[in-house]
Amino acid sequence: MPMPKGFKAENGYATTKQFAGGDDYRSIAEKMTKDGYKMNHATARNIFLSALQKIARPVHGVHNIPVSGDKLLKTAKDPRFQVGVAEILNTIHSRQK
Amino acid sequence: MAGDLKSYFEAVGRTPLLSRQEEVELSKRIESGDQRARDQMIRANIRLAVSIAKKYSNKGCDLEDLIQESSLGLIKAVDRFDWRKGFKFSTYAYWWIKQSVRQHVAAQSGSIKLPAYAKGTLFKMRQLTEEYEEEFGIAPTQQEIADLLGTTLSTLQSIIKSAATTVSLDGSAFQSDPESNKRMHEMLVDDSLPDLDSEIDKNHLTHVVREALTNLTPREETVLRLRFGISELDLDGSLL
Repeated sequence: MPMPKGFKAENGYATTKQFAGGDDYRSIAEKMTKDGYKMNHATARNIFLSALQKIARPVHGVHNIPVSGDKLLKTAKDPRFQVGVAEILNTIHSRQK
Repeated sequence: MAGDLKSYFEAVGRTPLLSRQEEVELSKRIESGDQRARDQMIRANIRLAVSIAKKYSNKGCDLEDLIQESSLGLIKAVDRFDWRKGFKFSTYAYWWIKQSVRQHVAAQSGSIKLPAYAKGTLFKMRQLTEEYEEEFGIAPTQQEIADLLGTTLSTLQSIIKSAATTVSLDGSAFQSDPESNKRMHEMLVDDSLPDLDSEIDKNHLTHVVREALTNLTPREETVLRLRFGISELDLDGSLL
């Protein structure tokens, strides 16, 4: 019996292995709940993608890419974009040290 | 030094060339031991020696040394020329001068002295490459050359590497302008430094992302930090 055809992201998926010291969504949800922001792992993921979409919007502007909900979500989910943002945040963080 | 060469070239240019008949007459006198005839033959053909020396001036040797070597080749040719064979002197002298200059270039150019077998391999390699290109229309690979010469690829590669012309880092960057102030080491690209364009792009993008980060809610900012494994961010600071 053939396996069901599922959705495969064009550029793969980002995993916590790509971010040194990064948490998975369940751990994030637990920590956030402890800090008073009650949420489950799916909410943690949605918040993460929402944050990335906010970052993707001006980046789309820089590269003259149309800014639409679908396109922003696609960029936010792209592991290359996520790794790039993580790198920039790490740069900001290391300069602040 | 450049002035000396210029006056030398001018002096050489003033000496008239010999006709075929004059060459034969001088050669006969040289055979009978006439030293003045020998000197005249040399002087009249020194232009040829200079022109051949100039062709090799880009091989890492001083032009003055090359002219000296080509003059020695010319003298050899004058001493061995046989007018009875009917050739023009320049045709005969050309090969002696060329051989003399080539020997000097091979011995002097580059700081790495190659053993005779390596020079032989290089010569055979060039010859083989020319023949191969002529026959097949494409250049042979190094592996093919090594196979045809009966040597290994690594040996061939190390010979080619050793035979490469060395360049002084403190030397002029432009061979056509030896007086230029630009040194070779000033022109070389430092691969260890980041590319300026990509650094500017990255800084611009960092600025854009930083601006965007200020629009995040505290909840979003914390989730982002936790996911990326960053302890804390001071987004209001002006460190960028």
